[in-house]
Amino acid sequence: MDRIDHLFKHYANRSSSHLIDPEGIEELCSNLEVPHTDVRILMLAWKMKAEKQGYFTLEEWRRALKAMRADTISKLKKALPELEKEVRRPSNFADFYVYAFRYCLTEEKQKSIDIETICQLLDIVLGSTFRAQVDYFVDYLKIQNDYKVINMDQWLGFYRFCNEISFPDMSNYNPELAWPLILDNFFEWMREKQA
Amino acid sequence: MSNQRKRNFQIEAFKQRVVVDPKYADKTWKILEHAIHEIYNHNASGLSFEELYRNAYNMVLHKFGEKLYTGLVTTMTFHLKEICKSIEEAQGGAFLELLNRKWNDHNKALQMIRDILMYMDRTYVPSLKKTHVHELGLHLWRDSVLHSSKVQTRLLDTLLDLVHKERTGEVIDRVLMRNVIKMFMDLGESVYQEDFEKPFLEASAEFYKVESQGFIESCDCGDYLKKAEKPLTEEVERVAHYLDAKSEAKITSVVEREMIANHVQRLVHMENSGLVNMLLNDKYEDMGRMYSLFRRVSNGLVTVRDVMTLHLREMGKQLVTDPEKSKDPVEFVQRLLDERDKYDKIINLAFSNDKTFQNALNSSFEYFLNLNTRSPEFISLFVDDKLRKGLKGVGEEDVDLILDKVMMLFRYLQEKDVFEKYYKQHLAKRLLSGKTVSDDAERNLIVKLKTECGYQFTSKLEGMFTDMKTSHDTLLGFYNSHPELSEGPTLVVQVLTTGSWPTQPTVQCNLPAEVSVLCEKFRSYYLGTHTGRRLSWQTNMGTADIKAVFGKSQRHELNVSTFQMCVLMLFNNSDRLSYKEIEQATEIPASDLKRCLQSMACVKGKNVLRKEPMSKDIGEEDSFIVNDRFTSKFYKVKIGTVVAQKETEPEKQETRQRVEEDRKPQIEAAIVRIMKSRRVLDHNNIIAEVIKQLQSRFLANPTEIKKRIESLIERDFLERDSTDRKLYRYLA
Repeated sequence: MDRIDHLFKHYANRSSSHLIDPEGIEELCSNLEVPHTDVRILMLAWKMKAEKQGYFTLEEWRRALKAMRADTISKLKKALPELEKEVRRPSNFADFYVYAFRYCLTEEKQKSIDIETICQLLDIVLGSTFRAQVDYFVDYLKIQNDYKVINMDQWLGFYRFCNEISFPDMSNYNPELAWPLILDNFFEWMREKQA
Repeated sequence: MSNQRKRNFQIEAFKQRVVVDPKYADKTWKILEHAIHEIYNHNASGLSFEELYRNAYNMVLHKFGEKLYTGLVTTMTFHLKEICKSIEEAQGGAFLELLNRKWNDHNKALQMIRDILMYMDRTYVPSLKKTHVHELGLHLWRDSVLHSSKVQTRLLDTLLDLVHKERTGEVIDRVLMRNVIKMFMDLGESVYQEDFEKPFLEASAEFYKVESQGFIESCDCGDYLKKAEKPLTEEVERVAHYLDAKSEAKITSVVEREMIANHVQRLVHMENSGLVNMLLNDKYEDMGRMYSLFRRVSNGLVTVRDVMTLHLREMGKQLVTDPEKSKDPVEFVQRLLDERDKYDKIINLAFSNDKTFQNALNSSFEYFLNLNTRSPEFISLFVDDKLRKGLKGVGEEDVDLILDKVMMLFRYLQEKDVFEKYYKQHLAKRLLSGKTVSDDAERNLIVKLKTECGYQFTSKLEGMFTDMKTSHDTLLGFYNSHPELSEGPTLVVQVLTTGSWPTQPTVQCNLPAEVSVLCEKFRSYYLGTHTGRRLSWQTNMGTADIKAVFGKSQRHELNVSTFQMCVLMLFNNSDRLSYKEIEQATEIPASDLKRCLQSMACVKGKNVLRKEPMSKDIGEEDSFIVNDRFTSKFYKVKIGTVVAQKETEPEKQETRQRVEEDRKPQIEAAIVRIMKSRRVLDHNNIIAEVIKQLQSRFLANPTEIKKRIESLIERDFLERDSTDRKLYRYLA
C-alpha cells in the first residue's frame, strides 16, 4: 500500500490538487513505454474506474494497482498484457465499451461526443477486433452530414452491429428493425458503394 | 263350431285347406291373359271389370299370385315389344307422334290392368316385395321401348333436333314435346336426367358455344350484350313450356357459361366498344346490361370493377400529374369534382349503386389525388375561390351541396395537415380583406371540417372568426370614447391573436403622420383595457382608401395597400421623388417597395404614378411623379389587393418545411402517448400505432418516426431494453 501511494505521489507532485493530471499521465505513459493514445491506458482507466478523463485520483490509483498487484512501474508494465486479456473477455468488454464512451464526456450534462473524437475512439477501442467495420464506418461518419455528434445509443448500436451483422455483405441487416437511424443510413451508403 | 252367441247368424270363413285344381289356375290365368290382350288391342269395352277382378282375386287367394305376376310381366313385355317395333318402323315426323300415342295407350292400359289386379297389388306384391303394377308397367316400358337400341338414339336425336330448330327460329309442336318429355319425367328422375337432360345440356352448351363465337367475332360489346340477354329469357321460357322445372337452373347456368363467362375478358377489353369506351361515353344502358349479365357469373363483376379501377387510376394519375392542368388550381379541382360526379352517376344508374364499386371509386380517388403533392393547396384555393365569388347568389342548399362535394375530396387527402395550413392562410386573407361572399358559407364549412376532423382541427380557425368579431366591438368602443376623432381619417383595426392566425413576419414602416397618430391613440386605448398584451402593427397586411385629385379635376378614390398609401402620401409634400428618397422616407423593405411601386407605375389602368425612365422594371435610380393624366371610368379604383395566389416555388418549399417541422412534435406526442400507456412495446408495433394515430392528419413516415424515437431516447423519455434490442421502455 505504501509503495503504491508513493508511486502515486511521484506522478501527482506537479499538480496542486493531489491528482495525477494529464502531464503526469504523459510521464506515466512514457515510463510504461506505451503511447499516450494506446488502448491500454484506457483499459487502465477502466480498471481504476476513473471518473474524469485525464486525471487519476489516489483512490482510483490504489484500486487498479492493488487489483493488478503492481507497486512498481516495472510490475505495472508487466501486468498490462494480463489486463488487456481481462478486458477483452466478452463479459468485461461490453462494460469497457460503455465506459470508454462515458470517459470522453468531459462537460457536465454532456451526452454526445463529436464525430472526430468518436472516430479516434472507435479506432482505439474496436480497431483490433473489427477492423473492416471500423474503417468503413469512420469513412462514413466523416462524409455524412446528418449527425454532428454521436450519443450513447448510437455508440452501443454500432457495437451490436459489429457483433451481429455479417460484414461486409450485411445480408442479415434489416433497416426496418429498431437499429439506430445512423446505422440505417450507413447501411444504405454501403449498399450504394457495393452496387 | 258354433258358439252360443247372441248374434242372429254368423258366417265364418272356411278353416280347412282347400286345394284348388291346378287346371283352375291355368284357366283363370288364360282369361286374364286374354283380357290384357284385349286391352292392348283397344277392345276393352267388351270386358267385365267385376269378373276379371274376381278372377285375379281368386288366383291370389288360392296362392297363385306368382303365376299371375309372372304372367303379367310376360304378357305386358310381349305387347310392349310389338309396340316398340311399330314405333321403330314409323317414318319421319310420325315417329314422335306414334311414340307419344303408344305411351298414352300404354298408360291407359296400365291403369285398367292395375285396377283389375288391385288385390294382387295390395297383398301379394308387398308381402313378396315385388314391384307394384304401375311401377312395373313403367319399368317395362322403359326397358322394352325406351331403351331399345333403335328407339333410344332416334328419340333423343329427334328431340334435340327439334330444340335446335326452335332455337334457330322455327316453330315446333310444343305440346308434343311437352308430352314426350313428361314421359321421361314420369319414368323417374334418373331416367329424365340420364336419358334426356344430360344430353340436352351438352347439346345446348355446344349450340351456345357456336352462337357466342359467331357473335363475338361480328359484334361490338354493346350489341353482343344485347344478343346475350335473349337466350336467357328464351331458355327459361322453354323450360316452362316443355321441360322439368328443375332444369331451369341448369340450362341457365349453361347459357351463362357459354355466352357470358367464357367471354368476359374479351368483352370487357374490347377495343373501341369495351368497358373503358362505355365509361368514357356514359353509356349507361350498355353498362347496366353488362352489370346485370356479369353478376350472374363468378368473377364477372370483379373483372368489371377491376378494369374500371385501373382506368380510373390511370386517368386520375394523368389528370393530376399533367402540368397543363395544374396551372389553374380552381379548374384542377373542378375537373376532379366533375369526374367524381360522372362516376357517381355511372355507379348509380348502371351499377345498381353497388357498394363494392363505390369503394373502388373512393380508393382510386384516394390513390391519385395524393400523387400530386399540391392537391391540399389546390383544394384550399378552390374553396377560396368559391367563398370569394363563386358562391355569390347561390342558394343555401346548393352551397351546402358544393361544400359537401369539396369535403368528399378532402377526405381523400393523406396530408390533411397541409390542407389546414393553406386553408388558414387563405381564410386569413379572406377575412382581413373582407372578401368573403357569405359568412354563413364560411361557418358551414368550418362545421363540416370539425365533424370530419375533430375540435382541434378547427379551434384555431374559429379563433380567427372570434378575433374579427371582437375587433369590431373594440373599434366601436374606441370611437365611442374618442368622439373628437369622428372628423378626420377613419381607422379600421383588426386585432389578431397570434396563435390563431398564420404566422406572418412583422414588417415595420413609417406611416404618414395623420395615420400614425391615430394608431397610437388606438394602441393606448387597447392597452388600457388589456394590460399585459403586446400589439405590433402588421403594415404588410393593411389597406387604405385615399381620395385623390389628378390634374385639375379628376377625382378618384383609390383602394391601396398600406405600403402604397405610405408612398402616395409622400407626394402631398413633394412633386417629384426618387426611389431612394421614397425608400428612406417609408423604410419599406426593398422587395416590397419595388412591387408596390411597380403596381402603381407600370400597370395599365392603375398608373397613378409616372416613372422616369419608362422602363418595365423598378430601378434604384428611378424617379416618380404623380400621373396628372391618370384616368379611369370608375370613381373607385382598386390598385393591387392581396389575393391568394398559387404559391411560388420558394414559398411552397417554405410551407412544406413548416409543415414538416409541425409534424415532429405531433409524432413525438403520439409516441409518448402510446408508450405511456403500453410501458413496453416493440419497434414494429410502435411504428404501426403511431401511423394509425396520426392517420387523420397525415401519413407519418417510418424513418421520421425512428428519428423521433431516438431523440426521445436521448432525452431520457424512452430507453431500449437491455436484452431485447427490438423493445422500447417508457421511462416515467
